[in-house]
Amino acid sequence: MTDAGSPPRRISPLVVLVHTVTFRQARQALGIALPIGAAVGFDGGTTTVVVLAVAVTLASLLASGLSWWRFAYVDGPASVVVTRGLLARSTRTVPRDRIRGVEVETPLLHRLLGLVRVRIDAAAGSATGQDEEVVLDGVRRAEGERLRAGLLVRRAPGPGDDATVPGPPEPAAPPAEEVLARFDRRWLLYAPLVGGYLAVPVAALGALLRLLDELPRSVRPEIDGPEVTGPAAAAVAVVVVLVLLAVGSIVGAAVVNWGFRLVRRGGSLVAVRGLLTRRHTELEVDRIRGVTVTAGLGMRWVRAARVSALVTGLGAAQRRGQLLPLGPRDLAEELAGRLADDPGPLRAHPAAARRRRLARAVTPGLVVAGAGAVATALAGWWPLLVAGAALAVLGVPLGLGRYAALGHAAGPRSFAVRGGWLVQERAVLQKRAVVGWQVRQSPFQRRAGVATVVACVGAGSGGYAAVDVAADDVVPFTRAASGTWAGALEI
Amino acid sequence: MTAPSSSPVRAPAWSLPRSAIWLWATQGLIGTLFWGAVLAAALLFLPTDEAPFSVLPWAGPTALGLYAVASIGLQPVIRHRVHRWEVTGEAVYALTGWLTRTWTLVPIARIQTVDVTRGVLQQLYGLASVAVLTASSKGTVQVPHLPQGVAEAVAADLARRAEHVRDEAT
Repeated sequence: MTDAGSPPRRISPLVVLVHTVTFRQARQALGIALPIGAAVGFDGGTTTVVVLAVAVTLASLLASGLSWWRFAYVDGPASVVVTRGLLARSTRTVPRDRIRGVEVETPLLHRLLGLVRVRIDAAAGSATGQDEEVVLDGVRRAEGERLRAGLLVRRAPGPGDDATVPGPPEPAAPPAEEVLARFDRRWLLYAPLVGGYLAVPVAALGALLRLLDELPRSVRPEIDGPEVTGPAAAAVAVVVVLVLLAVGSIVGAAVVNWGFRLVRRGGSLVAVRGLLTRRHTELEVDRIRGVTVTAGLGMRWVRAARVSALVTGLGAAQRRGQLLPLGPRDLAEELAGRLADDPGPLRAHPAAARRRRLARAVTPGLVVAGAGAVATALAGWWPLLVAGAALAVLGVPLGLGRYAALGHAAGPRSFAVRGGWLVQERAVLQKRAVVGWQVRQSPFQRRAGVATVVACVGAGSGGYAAVDVAADDVVPFTRAASGTWAGALEI
Repeated sequence: MTAPSSSPVRAPAWSLPRSAIWLWATQGLIGTLFWGAVLAAALLFLPTDEAPFSVLPWAGPTALGLYAVASIGLQPVIRHRVHRWEVTGEAVYALTGWLTRTWTLVPIARIQTVDVTRGVLQQLYGLASVAVLTASSKGTVQVPHLPQGVAEAVAADLARRAEHVRDEAT
């Protein structure tokens, strides 16, 4: 170990309680236990159930206790070392300068016991798999604060170390803070138009149904389905479902985003959000290479957007980098402008790009219509023809919309690309972020005189594409949007 | 040469050795043999006198023949004409592809690792592939099928120069 000087620390023993109650370790054995239980049968009456419950709880307690006992960590001056594992011991060493972000999470039970869960994001991209973060589950809140404040202040170690002040993270307000965005309850009204939040009630319903399905038949309440007759009843049902979906999505958005606050504190950005599980994410401003402003179809309709930071080497960047989960577009643009220079208005792509988008959007409809024409001629079956024609007609606005979304621009210090229709994404990147260029041209693109330019970036999704740029614009754009080395592309 | 006027960017200077053609042709041959075996099995075991499978006895061999011509006869030659690579003073540059062409340019300052791989078939022809990796999952320059000595020299040279000029590699 590199940091022999620092004593190993333990997580709080209270976490054993949390994990026992939530059956955290025991859940892994569930896959084996359930079939066995099913084979043996649950028909023994109350005694069996009680014995079973006690046995499972004891097993859970044992497992939690063992894993607590075998878990230790050291946060030394040069690295964080985590040791764990019951029999097969594993030691993970994360050099401090590789730490890209620290997240403090407070689920409900943790909060009751004064504990937090700290996730330490190490530099990703080393292809070692998905498990690139270190999780310290169940340290005391003050210790979590100390880690959060201490781990990222590598460059200015002096003032950050006094952050050992115990207390809840929310009201802790050192003077050097600048609030960049603050949650507004009205933003929740956007939620029904956002795909991700709409999925919340659907997922909840699905989980409920599956649970009902797994319950023994004798326990299940006998509910007769309501008798639905007539169009009026159907309409009522549809309205009820829509209202439930909307309410569910608003509740889901509230649970995730409640009390959202984005604060700039010295050299880092701190985002806090969540009603039940409180998340506290810290990002280093120096590692931010750009931002994306995304807006789905429904969000664009009400002028809403979300903002994510593109941070080098940050795993799970979709969640971790989120700076504004849901908010008005003006605020989103303002926030994006603070983190990456606005490179100016986007340039539209050539007419050939519009033709290509239109052709792509209309072709599926035309194919279906063609099949429909054959079906009509041979069997007199016309619905397919009508459906195909309708699809083709609908493809026109789709293609035009997709074309309107395309754009690229290069400014003095940054550049931007935009694309996408169902979810429109505008990425604004610093020039220094570019680690390479990829230019792609399919045979069709060659005929149309356009090409796709991908800026390769060691952050976010790895590549940001300007689709169907005029072939003559490729070299000027790459030159303007990165260093002199891009001149190698010049013809 | 590769479509001189409509090319959006400059083509890299160096082409691949001719043995790469033979390697690609061998790969095409193996693919053809595999699909031939699949087709033979299908003709043997499927009821070819019934409605959906009755096209198989003539459509299968036709498709296989077209595939063989494309993958053994055409594709290796076209690939060899398209594929090019170059190492300049500041960057690694490669053009790959067959129908869809991909130009990838990576500055040496941003190189993270350089991989040399020698596949089983490549060893038969004395070839090796070089992959230049960066912090971005998209920004990888692949130069397939270089002569082994060249590949190793290029990798060593790039690794050494990357060490010298590395700024922030992300």
